[in-house]
Amino acid sequence: MNLRMSAGPHFVARESTQTLMLDVLIALIPTTAAGVYLFGLRAAWVLAVSVISAVLAEFVWQKLARKPVRVNDLSAAVTGLILGLNMPAEVPLWLPAIGSIIAILLVKQLFGGIGQNFMNPAMLARGIMLVSWPAQMTVYTLPMRVLGSTSVVPSPDAVSAATALIRPSAYNPYDLLVGNIPGTVGEVCKLAIIIGFLYMLFVGTISWHIPVTFVGSVALLSWILGSDPWMAILSGGVLFGAVFMATDYVTNPLLKVGHIIFGIGCGIIVVVIRKFGGYPEGVTFAILLMNTVTPLIDRWTKRRVYGTVKKHG
Amino acid sequence: MSKLSFRGGIHPLKEKHEGKEATKSKPIRPYVPEEVCIPVDMHLGAPSIPCVKKGDLVKLGQVVAEPAGPRGIPVHASVSGEVTAVISKQQLYGKPSTCILIRNDKQDTWVDCHILGDVETAPADKIIGAIRDAGICGMGGACFPTHAKMVLPEGKTVDTILLNGSECETFITADHRLMLEEPQRVVNGLRAAMRAMGVQKGVIAIEENKMDAYEAIKKAAAGREGISTALLKTKYPQGGEKQLIKAVTGREVPSGGLPMDAHVVVLNVATAAAITDAVTEGKPSIARITTVTGIVNEPSNLLVRIGTSVSELITACGGTSEEPGKLFFGGSMTGLALPDDSVSVTKANNCLVVVNKKDAALQETTECIRCSRCIAACPIMLNPQRLNILCEAGNLGQAKKENVMDCILCHSCHYVCPARINFPFKEAKEKIAARRI
Repeated sequence: MNLRMSAGPHFVARESTQTLMLDVLIALIPTTAAGVYLFGLRAAWVLAVSVISAVLAEFVWQKLARKPVRVNDLSAAVTGLILGLNMPAEVPLWLPAIGSIIAILLVKQLFGGIGQNFMNPAMLARGIMLVSWPAQMTVYTLPMRVLGSTSVVPSPDAVSAATALIRPSAYNPYDLLVGNIPGTVGEVCKLAIIIGFLYMLFVGTISWHIPVTFVGSVALLSWILGSDPWMAILSGGVLFGAVFMATDYVTNPLLKVGHIIFGIGCGIIVVVIRKFGGYPEGVTFAILLMNTVTPLIDRWTKRRVYGTVKKHG
Repeated sequence: MSKLSFRGGIHPLKEKHEGKEATKSKPIRPYVPEEVCIPVDMHLGAPSIPCVKKGDLVKLGQVVAEPAGPRGIPVHASVSGEVTAVISKQQLYGKPSTCILIRNDKQDTWVDCHILGDVETAPADKIIGAIRDAGICGMGGACFPTHAKMVLPEGKTVDTILLNGSECETFITADHRLMLEEPQRVVNGLRAAMRAMGVQKGVIAIEENKMDAYEAIKKAAAGREGISTALLKTKYPQGGEKQLIKAVTGREVPSGGLPMDAHVVVLNVATAAAITDAVTEGKPSIARITTVTGIVNEPSNLLVRIGTSVSELITACGGTSEEPGKLFFGGSMTGLALPDDSVSVTKANNCLVVVNKKDAALQETTECIRCSRCIAACPIMLNPQRLNILCEAGNLGQAKKENVMDCILCHSCHYVCPARINFPFKEAKEKIAARRI
């Protein structure tokens, strides 16, 4: 009888890195579908290029570095898809390719691969592209098609427009919710993002702490500073960032209380950048800044260990 | 009805009803083996000393190995018949054990049993001695000599005895069936222990996935002096002493301390039933209920004689439906894998699980993605993610500062880890203890 000897646990939970990443991809289906519907085939090309180049970059790196090839953990696919969804549909197709390579090689693999990067790969790649190719990255187009009946005129010829953040009052709440506004492929359809959020909550991929405190603090602070809180949430990238990027396991704190600090920190920085900074949008840099603070938050937040007296300081 | 619980923890094999579905409605069925191989080192502490030799005829319940030291307990013949050998044989792990082989004459001729009396009237000062003479040790899995737990060191006080009927580990239904079928034995054992220790309060705590057992115990305990019942939420490791004490009494066992430092003694329900037998019938610990499940054809709850071989248990349950890939004693969270099927059932073995090749396959460990599931799962509020990094880096001094010694080795962190990380806390704790870091 050939028996395997090992210590417990002899059965483990079904969730693996791969299934968790697959759940994120599933949660991104509504957003991806809405983006492709609104912005047309062009958006599909952007997403395809970003996903394929992210997976290829990871595969080639792991081969060359003689590491086990783990592209089937789907983490590179998630990074690529999120990065593509962060771009306007009209970007030249070399841009998502470059972006994915930056995200996978520079931000993720050079720091040691999955779990080791201190900033969210897609987020830092977007930040780098924002400052390197500002013209291409911020020319948004009006959707080619619209969802439902609305007064917004679709523009099949890719007419560029400023992000809805500049003049949110030009769009009614319905258009803001379903995505009949200019913006990046993934950020415009808030309804799809909310569906994805609820899915991830339901299957337990993420907890509510970061998205809710992030979005909540943006709304509250915008309201305190005299802006319309609903417009602050619905017109830009706050929802997409809060649900799909701030919740990246690797780059946010470990404890629930840390998640709350992280979410509120992101919200404050977004509003400060929007209100006082030079950019109309602040989600990218808010999340990146909070990524760098994550180790500190982890150090400050401690739980009282069972059977011990709480340590101070 | 409010359900008691603790912070952290997990619900293992939730989608498979904790693996208990196959045996929870199977009544206890006695099994008598052809031969027994009884190790003399079943309990925690110094091994007992064999006092029989090859060719001796022994009666059922006769002492075959004498206790060594004040914490030692005797070992009894679990069948009547002829001693065929006293040998050294590999059991679960570590060095081979001295074992006494007895061929069963199927007569079950008992030795003369010294009965103390009814649990309410037996002389209280004689009970702990009777428990020791009956060779009773913790039947929940730890096998710590029960009498040693009940004799308190100078200055320690206990006000509550907790009977652990939570059975939070997966697959096991032995305690469930015991509480359901023989609740009176459980309650009587608790009363005997309370009287022996002079403790006024006894609580029997049961998880809510065993409502029928809870009702049976509640009925049996009605009107009994000082005894109450507690319903616990189904969560692992609810049956861990620290978690049980926290859930039922609200107290915490101080770091590095024992349950008695929280003024509590915790006994397993099967241990309590054994105490009843020792006091009211003078019968020693010669059998126990063991759940046999997994890929066996007839998953069962067997009343097994101590020393029965695992291969006989599997045969008693109709053999296996496919080739086994792994055997383990206990539940799937902390159970101990068996080197082969010739190993004996001891007083600690509440369950035997036979696993097929597919489920026994090694799961590859990948990189930590900082998902923090281990942190949410830890019932001690440790940070397994960080402790793993410290232990892997060999920084055991810092790991000790960050309370790795408080880890109860429940494996909840490993269970939930999507990267299948094998958290090395057992090795770390052993190294720290050995090197006095």
